[in-house]
Amino acid sequence: MKLRSRQILFFLALIAPVGKLVLMPAQIVSVSKNDLLFPVLAQLLVQAALVFCVLLLARRERTLYSLIESAAGTVCARIVTVLFSAFLLFAAFLPVVEQKTLVRSIFYDTIPAYLVFTPFFLFSAYLCARPLSSLGRMWDILAPLSAVGLAGILLLSAGSADYGALSPAGAAGVQGFLGGTTSSCSWFFDSALLLVLIGRFPYTRGLAWKGTLCYLAGGGILLFLLATFYGVFAEIAVIQAHAFARMSGFFSGMTVLGRIDYLFIFAVAFVMTFYVILPMQGAVGTVTEAFGGKKALAPLLSAGVNLIMLILVYLFHFHTSQVIRAITGTLFWIFPVFSVLLPLLLLLIFGRRPHEKIS
Amino acid sequence: MKKFLKTIPMKLWMILCALIVFTFFSNDFGLVDIQKTALVLAAGIDRTEEGFALTAQIAVPKGTDRTTGGTSSVEIEGSGETVSECLADLYAKTGWVPKLVFCDLVILGESAVREDTFDCLDYFLRNEYIPDSCLLAACEGSAKELLSSTSAIDDTSALALEKLFSDAAQKSGHVMVTTLREFAIGYFGESHSGYMPYVRSQAQEGDAQGQGGAQSSGDAQQQKPEEKIYTARETAIFSGGRMAALLSPEETFAFSLLEGNVYAGTFTTDEKTYVILKNKGDISVRVQETPEIRLSILCKVQIYGESETASPEHLAKGELSPEEEARLSQTLSECLTGLWNTCAESECDLLFFRRSLKRTSMEVYGRWKDLPLSSVAVSIDARAQSLK
Repeated sequence: MKLRSRQILFFLALIAPVGKLVLMPAQIVSVSKNDLLFPVLAQLLVQAALVFCVLLLARRERTLYSLIESAAGTVCARIVTVLFSAFLLFAAFLPVVEQKTLVRSIFYDTIPAYLVFTPFFLFSAYLCARPLSSLGRMWDILAPLSAVGLAGILLLSAGSADYGALSPAGAAGVQGFLGGTTSSCSWFFDSALLLVLIGRFPYTRGLAWKGTLCYLAGGGILLFLLATFYGVFAEIAVIQAHAFARMSGFFSGMTVLGRIDYLFIFAVAFVMTFYVILPMQGAVGTVTEAFGGKKALAPLLSAGVNLIMLILVYLFHFHTSQVIRAITGTLFWIFPVFSVLLPLLLLLIFGRRPHEKIS
Repeated sequence: MKKFLKTIPMKLWMILCALIVFTFFSNDFGLVDIQKTALVLAAGIDRTEEGFALTAQIAVPKGTDRTTGGTSSVEIEGSGETVSECLADLYAKTGWVPKLVFCDLVILGESAVREDTFDCLDYFLRNEYIPDSCLLAACEGSAKELLSSTSAIDDTSALALEKLFSDAAQKSGHVMVTTLREFAIGYFGESHSGYMPYVRSQAQEGDAQGQGGAQSSGDAQQQKPEEKIYTARETAIFSGGRMAALLSPEETFAFSLLEGNVYAGTFTTDEKTYVILKNKGDISVRVQETPEIRLSILCKVQIYGESETASPEHLAKGELSPEEEARLSQTLSECLTGLWNTCAESECDLLFFRRSLKRTSMEVYGRWKDLPLSSVAVSIDARAQSLK
């Protein structure tokens, strides 16, 4: 069973933006203040270009491992695959921590039990053991859920937003822009996620363009959400750690209807769960392929990866801020290496064949 | 059998999905152990020598002497150097875990607003389990007295107070409501200003002991606490977190009009009551040689009541004569002037002059941000038009 190109487009337009809605908005506001849209726009444009590149690579209809193997041999391919998988696991840590803080803060009235998030890893272990091609059916279901969730949140929060708070543009200066761009690198690695999927879906005519446009459309939704978020919270946006789950709570009809926004928050949080697991699933999938694809390997790897992740998440439970600072501040450069340089390098090596037309 | 085995992964997947939905979104299945949890409906904060005193109005699941319906409540006070310590004190005293997720109202007593209020509001903003949409109000006297008083209209004073801040009350234009979020944005913004409705309580007129009651129940009447009614027609304005001045009911109404909040609100002047059926308000800042703030309101009004008898034809139309329009416009202009003067004298940037400067450009903001409000040129335009 293979993924369909439609499912890839769903991922780019409606699943990918969801992963950037928890800690990222407040994190960027802390650096870029009211200019938060510019670093995100820059990241989106870069990622959109990279999505185009990765989808061009997908025309060969060969997976990442087999592409490298054909050019550089099995050993080299395995080394690159393991390194890339290690990156995916590193990249997965922040989304998992985000999901944990979101669940603990938003879905409970008081601080919940310490281990309340543990079942997530059970779910994740099962999903990671599944082949990557199973993602397609999930995205078919999750994409409409994400669309409804995001639209509902926007609808309920736009009325409370003062979009004038975004002016004057450029107040944070170049430093604010650069700081915002570097600290948001940890959330923009969609091209790397797409790299995992190449060779697992047939390249249809114009998919590279369609994919880029879908990613930009998703980016547009993300920018609108961020603008609304800043419009709602303005100067206190920096302390709103769970952006999308907070901004719709001021809808005037809430006094009569109750917290109906929770329906939409639940929908987005549910979609986010699958997005959070995706890098881990990608890591397990690529390593399994690289090392022979034996039947027992994927479940074993999945169990191991999730056990390690569980230990790390609870080990750093009381150092969450420090960990986030380290990933977004000190170690941010790791993300462009694997999500920008690697796809570009691969495109240079395996890109256009002579006389080949981009359709 | 093989077919069944093939479908096991999908079934397992579905079961796990259901499991995760339950564990994530269960909110402990909404179970609240009412014997161990204090559902705080409202919090009142007063400043003491030690630090703060927090009075929590807690909903209780038992009948009181007034069991005719509604919500029963008790007021418990905790004290400490910080608001957080007050809550810990409250927990230590009662064994109830204070649950603030239903806390929709925070009342600040006179002593609390005399100094920077954010040293006590800070806790509510930090705490992830308290909604930022909770209402804020300042009150005459102490917040403890207000919350502990017996309302004439509801068993629980907090619920009676919240009625004052309803959407309908806001549309009347006679109360200006603010939330923790709005107040915090104003406080941390360039203007460092904000407002809260100012609550006064007074004994219910005609509630004199023994009035209307049978002599046989005289003793019970004697013991009955004095019932209070609350008003919030004035607005406390804040600069740098301290209460800077109090807006009169007329100035509060003008402020409501400026914010464009009024719909079907009434305004009485010259022995005539007018109803505002459409309201547009605008505050704009123009910077040419010097900055100028322009306050404008446009209202579509109808006559709603007069102190003298009018003919049926006049009653049917409810239209204003040009003289009445001019007179009402002038009165509203005077209210707006009074509002601006109160703000300027107390150096409270309630109308966000400095924020508007910043939104114009950083250069303009840098040049004029230190200009005292009393030196800012103001242009006021209030127009009342009869609904034809």
